[in-house]
Amino acid sequence: MDILLQQILNGLSIASVITLIAVGVTLIFGLTGIINFAHGEFLMVGSIVTWLAVSNGIAFPLALILGVLAVALMGFVLERAIFRFTLERPTNGFIVSLGLIVVLQHVVILFWNANQKSIPRPLTTVWEIGGVRIASVRVMVILMTIAVVAMTYVMITRSRYGRALRASVEDRDTAALMGIPVRRYITGVFVLGSALAGLGGGLLIALFPITPFTGGTMVMKGFAVALIGGLGNLSGAVAAGLILGIVEGLSAGYGFSEWTDAYSFGLMILVLLFRPHGLFGGTSGPKMA
Amino acid sequence: MEVYEHDRSNTMIKSVSSLRSLAPVLIVLLLLALVPLFSPSNRFLSLAISAGINIIALYGLSVLFGQTGILSMGHAALVGVGAYTAALLARDFDIGFWVSIPVAGIMAAIVAAIIGIPSLRVSGHHFVIMTFAFGQLLTIILTNGGDFTGAASGLDMGKPVTMFGADLDALPRFYLLVVAFVTVSAVASWAIIHSSYGRTLRAIRENEKLAAALGIDVGRHKIGAFIVSGVFAGVSGVLLAYFLRHISPGQFASFPSIYLALMVMIGGARLLLGPLAGGILVSFLPEVLNLDPVQSRILYGACLIAVILFLPNGVIAGIADGWTWLVRMSKRRPAAGNVSEVGR
Repeated sequence: MDILLQQILNGLSIASVITLIAVGVTLIFGLTGIINFAHGEFLMVGSIVTWLAVSNGIAFPLALILGVLAVALMGFVLERAIFRFTLERPTNGFIVSLGLIVVLQHVVILFWNANQKSIPRPLTTVWEIGGVRIASVRVMVILMTIAVVAMTYVMITRSRYGRALRASVEDRDTAALMGIPVRRYITGVFVLGSALAGLGGGLLIALFPITPFTGGTMVMKGFAVALIGGLGNLSGAVAAGLILGIVEGLSAGYGFSEWTDAYSFGLMILVLLFRPHGLFGGTSGPKMA
Repeated sequence: MEVYEHDRSNTMIKSVSSLRSLAPVLIVLLLLALVPLFSPSNRFLSLAISAGINIIALYGLSVLFGQTGILSMGHAALVGVGAYTAALLARDFDIGFWVSIPVAGIMAAIVAAIIGIPSLRVSGHHFVIMTFAFGQLLTIILTNGGDFTGAASGLDMGKPVTMFGADLDALPRFYLLVVAFVTVSAVASWAIIHSSYGRTLRAIRENEKLAAALGIDVGRHKIGAFIVSGVFAGVSGVLLAYFLRHISPGQFASFPSIYLALMVMIGGARLLLGPLAGGILVSFLPEVLNLDPVQSRILYGACLIAVILFLPNGVIAGIADGWTWLVRMSKRRPAAGNVSEVGR
């Protein structure tokens, strides 16, 4: 029982990072139609910036903010310079993002080599309750994820910006006729999603060492979760992220660790086949003219 | 999937509708077959061999992407099926190169069908993500296959390639073998493009709903094209296993698939010269520019982005378009009135 609780707790902190990626993916893919497979590399860049800042003596909270800002800025530049030209042909955007994966990974390797990078844990306290060891850093990751995802959720579903955004997903032309600056919203969503990836990266390196190749597996999980939860469906992404994180945590804890990566792919394939709009319903991407 | 400007695709269909499109490929391959006469370095030959092995797989991908308009991100996994089939046949059944070729082709076709039948039920970009996931899944299965697949360290290939009792393992001979296989796959790809089957695939590419309305079984033809591309991949996998002598799961994961897609994009998937140009460019450019692997990968990625944004039909088609444009401009200058007839 102790082991079970312990694994669920560990699973929850991994699930948090996966959820942050998945929320970014579900927003970008579900609301703008841009399929950015380099999202995992955005996360990795977030980790690298946090790592650079911490190794230069900057405190972790500030380093985390720097990481988020850097990735948000990168997202802005890439959307304006590249992705906006692919909006009409999502597959081209997807291929471009594959090129970006290669470029971002190897630029990082070029400057900071391919070795593992880690930072000292920003919080070292470990609580022990009834035989279950609770590392405070994991609790911090979980709480921050909850807060950020809740904020995003309120923004998308309650604010007038969120309503305008959902209107432009429903029908771009009509939304534009109603005076909604659709292109600017697309950029905004892309930057928001990128910032979430940057946050995920900063939190990930607080938990585990990372390499320039970390993004690759993480983005597949992010896409899996986003598709399982239903594109554009935030609560779906959170639920699917929790399921996947806990399943992975449990299977690692009970000795099937070599298969952990297979669950997300297998589950995603099954969901796409039988429930193409995800388990919890989604937009299946914006309607293209 | 992607409908390009109508006039451009029309000229393309017209320009490939004759034997003329095969001739330049055959001439290039003939010239390439003469290369060993100039006693090139071993490094050059092994680069050329791996380029050639990729080109065989690329011809399969060009049938799938260039003709049918569906992109697979799991192509390297099908190459892996071919390579592992060859290695397992050689290890467990003492079966050599020439029997492995058809068997691996069939195996890769079967796996392509297993992946394709469910994947092609979903449309467009979901399909691409599915093939990506299947490719990753295959790597995980190979890694966890224990002694049968040699786990993460992979398998060794113990058998030599022989033909009529002659050993073909020396680099110049193996090079000629690869050139021969590239020729066969180029001709096969040409035959597919020019058959009525190829026309059906292009109809699906241009307008899936219209094709379905004309009575074309879209789903079956898409799966068919996926299986055909798998056969090319399987054959290229056998050559790869015999060339490298050692194969491991990492060689067939998602990134090799990305590189294959990149090569076919850079060369251009619709023209017969495209895969040849893409494979050669991507393999030799770093060598010519004297880049280390990290720099050359950055260059590949940047090239891919640039090609998609500026030359969505690939470099060769881009050059051809530029040439037509130049010709048109030079003819326009003397007689500015009558230009509508110029061009292909």
